[in-house]
Amino acid sequence: MIVNLTRPMLVFEDLHKSYGDIRALDGCSFQVAPGRMLGFLGPNGAGKTTAMRTVFGLVRPDSGRVLWNGDPVEKETASRFGYMPEQRGLYPKMRIRDMLVYVGRLHGMSNTAAGNSADLWLERLGLTERALDRVEALSHGNQQRVQLAAALVHDPDVMLLDEPFSGLDPIAVDTMSEILRDAARLGKAVVFSSHQLDLVEDLCDDVAIIHKGRVVVEGDVKALKEASPYRRLEIDFDGEIGELTRSIDGIHDISSLDGHHRLTVDAGTDIRPFLARAQDSGHLRSFSYTAPSLSDLFREAVG
Amino acid sequence: MRRLGLVAMREMREGLRSKTFLITTAITILIVAAIVVVPRLLEGGADHYTVGLVGDGGAEIVDAAVRLGNANVEDGDEPAVEIETTTFATREEAIAALESGDVGVVLVDDSEVVVQTLGITGSGVTSLLQQAAAARALEQALEEHGEVAAVVIETLTSDPLEVSTPQGDDEAGGSERFLVAQAGMFLLYMAVLVYGSWILTGVTEEKSSRVVEVLLSAVHPWQLLGGKVLGIGTLGLAQFVITILVALGAIRYAGIEIPSLDPILIANLVLWFVLGFLVFAVLFGAAGSLASRTEDAQGVAMPMSMIAVAGLFLSFAVLEDPDGTLAVVGSLIPLTAPFVVPVRVAMDSIPGWQFILAVAIALVGIGLLVRVAGRIYSGALLRIGTRTKLREAWRGADQ
Repeated sequence: MIVNLTRPMLVFEDLHKSYGDIRALDGCSFQVAPGRMLGFLGPNGAGKTTAMRTVFGLVRPDSGRVLWNGDPVEKETASRFGYMPEQRGLYPKMRIRDMLVYVGRLHGMSNTAAGNSADLWLERLGLTERALDRVEALSHGNQQRVQLAAALVHDPDVMLLDEPFSGLDPIAVDTMSEILRDAARLGKAVVFSSHQLDLVEDLCDDVAIIHKGRVVVEGDVKALKEASPYRRLEIDFDGEIGELTRSIDGIHDISSLDGHHRLTVDAGTDIRPFLARAQDSGHLRSFSYTAPSLSDLFREAVG
Repeated sequence: MRRLGLVAMREMREGLRSKTFLITTAITILIVAAIVVVPRLLEGGADHYTVGLVGDGGAEIVDAAVRLGNANVEDGDEPAVEIETTTFATREEAIAALESGDVGVVLVDDSEVVVQTLGITGSGVTSLLQQAAAARALEQALEEHGEVAAVVIETLTSDPLEVSTPQGDDEAGGSERFLVAQAGMFLLYMAVLVYGSWILTGVTEEKSSRVVEVLLSAVHPWQLLGGKVLGIGTLGLAQFVITILVALGAIRYAGIEIPSLDPILIANLVLWFVLGFLVFAVLFGAAGSLASRTEDAQGVAMPMSMIAVAGLFLSFAVLEDPDGTLAVVGSLIPLTAPFVVPVRVAMDSIPGWQFILAVAIALVGIGLLVRVAGRIYSGALLRIGTRTKLREAWRGADQ
């Protein structure tokens, strides 16, 4: 892999990690740049959590390393990163403002700076009035918000969030999305894992898809979609679809339901004859021709 | 060091805020004060008896009994025994007064004692009267020899033989050192169990609430463990010192004389208290990391508690034989040394080189324990689910 040292960059470099016979990471490599948001995708057990834990020294890889601006990430470096673990947890008996100040100070902030930042985050998340409540007194949703604030209170350069959207209601998903977008806009490198591929497609500049401990697809979401050798053709058509499909070559797959047909075609295929014939038949109600969705890319990569 | 301090500060602040801490402190102080003060309040100075007299000779016996009861009381001090007498004309009147409780005992002539019930109550005055009567009989028998009688009484009430040791301690001083050492061992044992289990549940809570992954993304496991031990340790010692000060204050208030103690003996007790506390605190912390739920924690800590119990019993054994092999071996093992060395120091039976070696081994042992416990801690903290096995935790530290 070519590492560009002129730009700051978080690089996962050929990570290997085995637990007995299980290979959790098997040459995992990808990178994320400041100002970019990367969706870290993969089936359950593919190695997402293990890779993220490696950054913070919670997992020691058998080989490979994680670099920030070209230097291996140590505990000191990692304290400028923000982490939201998959297994959420806060001190149940602690007051939420104290909790945030404590986490901020552990990450190297002064008492004053941590206090100011905690207040800002509580305000932003609508928890100002709860500042003196104990964590255990909050609803599940509000605890999630505090957890997010705990990952961000020290204004980290890099954010690694393990399944930040899981268990959130649609409103909270919007809040979380906005916070992550703002962070990327402010020049932070943001990595988050998720199974909600539509959301990732909406939010992320880049994706990395991990499968069996190895990143199998990596890059800019749009470019990856454009570069796909396939296109997706969707029509609502009441007539006989079989006759239509014979008009062109390069159709790989058709699935039909109540007159809605989804076709996978080679990217190079000229579909104009197909469209012309459909229109002529008078049975065409709608038509779309797009690059494959992220879900399609994901299924293809790990299927 | 900064992060270690932050962790310790959090433990102290949250501890001071917790109702449990404040309530247990208050209750402990009240109990300690009550134990010292209440018996003193109930005691109310001298033993006071009422005796009914019928016939002749009783008054002399009562006088003798008072003299006998107060034989060991220095001049000017409060008397230990006071006897109030009432004279009755007939035996029947006297018995009626006894039955109504106006008098505790009836003395008929100089030959018979009547009590309400045979038993422990009143036995103090009864035996005094019996002794006095015997002494009086002896006095009468010796009457013709005059001065001899006084000599006999004098001899019967003189001080017992003095006892001392070759080191020059008199019996009183030696038993004080002995008592102080024993009390010190008991306090250490209590502190280990109480504050050890505090650390234990603290660590387990961090694991079961899963806050630990957030913390470990910023601090090393040894900082988390060390900070916890320091924070809870400081808070615990403060509570302990307050309790002891309250106890001393109460003792002074109650007017009990505090013997002056050898400062070296006290310094030695404090030194080994701190060393012993550290050894066990680190072990309890490591044990706590093996349990995922608070319910499992006590079970995991069982071996530690057993070691503390064994240490306490070992200190009793060492009292019996302070120079034996058991005592020497116990001094050189960091887990038992805190229970053994102070006792041997109090009994003046540990050579200087053994003392220095014991301190050195304990310090090195604590250093090693922190590393070992830190490794177990880091290997076990992220393993949620069932109890983590020790071997898994050890290996897990590499993961």
